[in-house]
Amino acid sequence: MTVNLPRFARPLGIGAVALIVEYLLLGTQQFANALTLGAIYALIALGYTMVYGIVELINFAHGDVFMVGSFLAMWIMTTIFGLTGPVTNLVNLVGLLAIVMLATMVGMGLIGAFIERVAYRPLRHAPRLAPLITAIGVSFILQNIIATAFGPSPVNFPQIVPADKFALMGARIAYLNLFIVIMAVVLMIALQVFIGRTRLGRAMRSTAQDREAAELMGVDINQTIAITFFIAAALAGAGGMVQGLYAGSIKFDLGFFVGLKAFTAAVLGGIGNTTGAAIGGFVIAFVEVYATVIGYTQWSEVAVFTVLILVLVFRPSGLLGQQLGERA
Amino acid sequence: MKYGKLGALGAAAVLVLSACSGSATTPPAASSGSGASSAPVGSAPASSGGAVTPGAWCVGGTVKIGTELPMSGGETANGVPTENGVELLVAQVNAAGGVAGCKLATNVQDDALNGVHDPQTGAKNMQTLVADASVMGVVGPFNSGVAEAEIPISNGAGLLMCSPANTANAVTQPPDGDQYRSAHPDKISYIRTATPDSIQGPSAADYLYKDLGKTSVYIIDDTETFGVGVGDSFEAEFKKLGGTVVKRDSAPKSTTDYTPLFTAAAAMNPQGVYLAGTTPTGMGLALKQGRTVSGMETIPFVGPDGVADLGPGGTQGATITIAGAAAANVYGTVGAAHDLASGSTFVADYTAKFGGAPGAYSAAAYACAQIIVASLTKAAATATDLASAREGVRANAVNSANTFTTALGTLSFDKYGDNTKPFISFYKTDMTAAGGKGDWVFVKQESFTDPNAP
Repeated sequence: MTVNLPRFARPLGIGAVALIVEYLLLGTQQFANALTLGAIYALIALGYTMVYGIVELINFAHGDVFMVGSFLAMWIMTTIFGLTGPVTNLVNLVGLLAIVMLATMVGMGLIGAFIERVAYRPLRHAPRLAPLITAIGVSFILQNIIATAFGPSPVNFPQIVPADKFALMGARIAYLNLFIVIMAVVLMIALQVFIGRTRLGRAMRSTAQDREAAELMGVDINQTIAITFFIAAALAGAGGMVQGLYAGSIKFDLGFFVGLKAFTAAVLGGIGNTTGAAIGGFVIAFVEVYATVIGYTQWSEVAVFTVLILVLVFRPSGLLGQQLGERA
Repeated sequence: MKYGKLGALGAAAVLVLSACSGSATTPPAASSGSGASSAPVGSAPASSGGAVTPGAWCVGGTVKIGTELPMSGGETANGVPTENGVELLVAQVNAAGGVAGCKLATNVQDDALNGVHDPQTGAKNMQTLVADASVMGVVGPFNSGVAEAEIPISNGAGLLMCSPANTANAVTQPPDGDQYRSAHPDKISYIRTATPDSIQGPSAADYLYKDLGKTSVYIIDDTETFGVGVGDSFEAEFKKLGGTVVKRDSAPKSTTDYTPLFTAAAAMNPQGVYLAGTTPTGMGLALKQGRTVSGMETIPFVGPDGVADLGPGGTQGATITIAGAAAANVYGTVGAAHDLASGSTFVADYTAKFGGAPGAYSAAAYACAQIIVASLTKAAATATDLASAREGVRANAVNSANTFTTALGTLSFDKYGDNTKPFISFYKTDMTAAGGKGDWVFVKQESFTDPNAP
């Protein structure tokens, strides 16, 4: 007899334990930093894991989709709204953030679906290696398009959120950090609801389980896969926008390492598992910040990828891997 | 398609070039062109007449100064204004009758491959210049990596190179420098007017400690050769002065979030920050994010020329563009002379000839050409053929007993070919300059001797 816990109890438990350990080791200030970074990683990791869940493709272009998202958000802010500095009126600020985020997410979603249509769909029945190499090709194409359009140097991202901070338990935390974390959590909950409670979400889950059977049951496979890519790219676009807001400058090769780290997060959480990807993002960010705190910044990447290797060796299906049956 | 376009670009650059050398035959602004800046030429005894018959060494009545710079694609802005400095001197010398009656021309080589400087292309160009017996000396290259590929060739052939822009220590100094000149260790073939990178670190430490009066500092480097190098030399000098380095971090350029680093450093209350690296390798982001951390908002940030990127013609560089308001109270060192020698008419001459302000290294290239001309003037007295003239130029230029009057001031070179009194210029940001967009403003210039020199 096994105890029948609600199915979200285990991930919630793992997440809560991870957060408490992080907080105790980092202290409030660095915890806030790690949480913000983790939110960005999680948004990207979700895209890796969704795409893998549904077509079993490691979409190596996803990090660059994230990068394109930050450039798209930058372009919308500067060219369409003419923004350069902080917006002090709270109502205007919230409105602008909402509009820019929505536009970025829709724009990136369309780009993601387009990439799937031209680069991956023709290869859906090709050997597994073919789409993987196409993905690497798409990654280079995206990087070079952006490098040509915006130049290879870092590009300024308008800081529309004022740099104000509030005091919390001995730390000074910027409102921007709060916004990023809340936004990421809202998007993740929305994704869970979408996958779990809607017709399209059900179509995604069934396609992930058995594509042919789903097709026989009347699920439009092409549409479902396109929607998966749309959502994955939209989340990456949101991540790209907050990365720009947080860092203040963006660069055409930004997506490469962030993408690798988010991929690590997805594997850590159990690739194909959306909750796992989110938790993985926060854990990877924690490892990175902790390496900094103890004074080994130059080893932070080594630490992150050591985690990847350890997971692959000792727990190939990731932290929440046993739920693979419910992936997507 | 892409290559076609690049080819067209290259062709355009060549056209621009030939236009430049074409106009070189017209003397600029009559005799005033050879003012105080080209004093060594005017003072040469043989050239005073202006119609002297050249010696037998001057085969065909013309010898050449080679230029080896990146001239096309994205590097056009680096190479072309620098090359123009050489063209200006050649025109001035010819207008004054040449060197001992021997006219000058240029042999222009481009080391950009598909628009980016390329060491292999540079090495090939150097072989071309060596094979052209009438080339007396070469001005260039622009990039240190290219120099490392070229010096072994010029050293083997005994052809002088004078770089206006190379700053990597390894180019001249042991152990690497020794390797590059292993063909003829006793006959070095390379000198440079630019300041080695190792001097930027200590000079910045001096500035932060003495001029700004800060006694504790946080150092962050970008893990690259240049960044770690300036970081180490900064740290050594700052400690020697009695200052405290509260923390030293190395963050690779792939770092996307510097906030945790600065949060940890801020807890140790440094009075200043040294950004050991360049803006594209993360220091721009480090500056921007570092400023958002409590305790880091207003303290001085200091960086090398990778941070104090003055931009073309001294306009606003990428650091200020990226960091925005965070760029306030930032200081930078640049390993080049800001002021030209007093009385130099270089800027006016350059503007008159080329219709625009000189580039950052135009004056240094002009100075390099002045050194070649002065050395050739000396060598002409005893030279019997092109080979002996070329060797005479090399021997005179690298002789550490010689001094040269140039547009940059009086220069001499040590046994490695480095400037004995390298220039460091200090800049700081002024956020009210450039119509409120902010710009780097010049603070002071010094001749700085590396306290940690080998």
